[in-house]
Amino acid sequence: MKYTKLSDKLFVAFNYVFVTIFTLLCFLPFYVMVISSLTDKNVLQVDGYTLWPRKFSIEAYQWVLKGKQVLTGYQVSVFVTIVGTLLSVVLMSGVAYALSAKKFPWRSQLSFYVYFTMIFSGGLIPWFITCRAFGLYDNIWALIVPMLMNPWWIFILRNYFNGLPSEIMESAVIDGASDWTVLSRIILPLSTPVLATTALFVAVAYWNDWWHGVILLDFADFRPLQVLILRIINSIRAIRQAMAMEGGSSIAISSAQIPAKSIRMAIVVITIGPIILLYPFVQRYFIKGLTVGSVKG
Amino acid sequence: MPQSAPRRRGGVPGFLHAIFSNRLIILLALPGAVLIFLLKYVPMFGIVVAFEDFRADTGFLSPWVGFDNFRLLFGSPVLWRIIRNTISLNVLFIIVTTIFSVGMALMLNELAHPLFKKLTQSIMYLPFFMSWTVVAMLLYGFFDFESGMINSVIKLFGASPVSFYDKPDWWPAILTILRVWKGTGSGCILYLAVLVGIDFQLYEAAEIDGASRWQRLRFISLPLLTPTIILVTLLAIGRIFYGDFGMIYTVVGDNALLYPTTDVIDTYIIRALTTTTNFGMSTAVGLSQSVLGFICVFGSNWIVKKWSQRRGEDYSLF
Repeated sequence: MKYTKLSDKLFVAFNYVFVTIFTLLCFLPFYVMVISSLTDKNVLQVDGYTLWPRKFSIEAYQWVLKGKQVLTGYQVSVFVTIVGTLLSVVLMSGVAYALSAKKFPWRSQLSFYVYFTMIFSGGLIPWFITCRAFGLYDNIWALIVPMLMNPWWIFILRNYFNGLPSEIMESAVIDGASDWTVLSRIILPLSTPVLATTALFVAVAYWNDWWHGVILLDFADFRPLQVLILRIINSIRAIRQAMAMEGGSSIAISSAQIPAKSIRMAIVVITIGPIILLYPFVQRYFIKGLTVGSVKG
Repeated sequence: MPQSAPRRRGGVPGFLHAIFSNRLIILLALPGAVLIFLLKYVPMFGIVVAFEDFRADTGFLSPWVGFDNFRLLFGSPVLWRIIRNTISLNVLFIIVTTIFSVGMALMLNELAHPLFKKLTQSIMYLPFFMSWTVVAMLLYGFFDFESGMINSVIKLFGASPVSFYDKPDWWPAILTILRVWKGTGSGCILYLAVLVGIDFQLYEAAEIDGASRWQRLRFISLPLLTPTIILVTLLAIGRIFYGDFGMIYTVVGDNALLYPTTDVIDTYIIRALTTTTNFGMSTAVGLSQSVLGFICVFGSNWIVKKWSQRRGEDYSLF
């Protein structure tokens, strides 16, 4: 008994230690990033990354928020996220509703129709050609439309709808309720958890999307925030590689083209800002919501 | 229901009636279903490009070359490199991330302090919400040859700085660590949910019988987690021919020095798209990927079905 108690104590202690370390590792990069963005840029260059600003400065943010690119990027990202999320949730719920309505005779065909797209696709090039053919190229809708339908979420929504008590709906139908009444007065009010969860994850997906901005935008003069970051990091890497190959002789010239560390950090902080700000409020949905569609029903 | 005069419900009138009585449902599902058709099914017709010598000016009506693109493809060493990288990286990711996600879930389950649990879980979930572009920027801050965090520390100790972006052998490990860092917080949730649902009395009985916490974990928690682990792994195996493009393209960048270990099928196809070389060949690669992936999903599902049925269960997906 004593032996068991000691090994138990060690076991629990180990758990706490490991979880704490891992949590710190998840937290520190963001913390250092925020601190760096608030550090005077010359101090940052000399001293490197620190846990507290050696010299406080909001110059990076002032510089970044003056620039047209970041402001435009923000507008693009916000618009795409809000419009995309709304459209996506509405459209996907419509399909999920059809998949769960017991009276709908073509449920299994529709289910296979949706599911098949998860296991087989035409590939990138045909998709690209299709998008261009439909005009989803070089405009803002190219960032919204291709991401609207996601079979994974459709099935999560369907599973949730399936789990709703059918007796209420059946008795409503017996009392003469139309499909619309059942939907608007019973199903929708009861579905707020899953709709909110879906909306949140879809919104994050839209906000973080850089892929469509890279592939489907060409001459357009706007880019979402994530693409801006990608461009910065790509040009930095390219310049550094060139410098390394040339042996450092052009360091003075090239360095000037690389945005200062504090500015890079400021841009990143601005980009993840909305997510971090909303995080405490929506946190409970994220953890609970992921299992809402699977454990239930 | 009373037998009245025979009503023809089959054929066209029956079909029309079904549509009418389900008109709201159809109306609601139609836009989404049409979008799925336009953006997921229509591209499937584009597969013909894999069998053509695609030119921009002739488009879909480019000359037909049958399996020539595939023959060229399977003869080229590049294809084997990208397939090998795709699969080996994905296998590595699946194994290591599963170990960490399950391990983290088990550990969190052992914690008693509710506030600590909630706080750590929230913070661990944070990396999940960052896009890979942000991670790429942060990683660069770490790895930069001149002033990155790691090299700053190395220089403090007087050693010479390390260049990370030209050592292909290190990157499978680096990428795996990144996947673990970013995915454990979200990946452990599902397992945690299962663990939380385990009947408390099972643990109590074991404790009374003298089992230590570790033994309870090994003989109760882990076996009850197995179906979920298998399910998640099965889903992952279905995607084994699809590289983690989102991570690799952003974090590694288009770095030819690192191709030997990081170039996957998807990055190869993207290069073809952005440098507009051979659309026919790249479509052939994409088609191979889809077909292989399809076989994988069915294959892994079948294997698991047979294996689990032998133990009296059915862990398969379909």
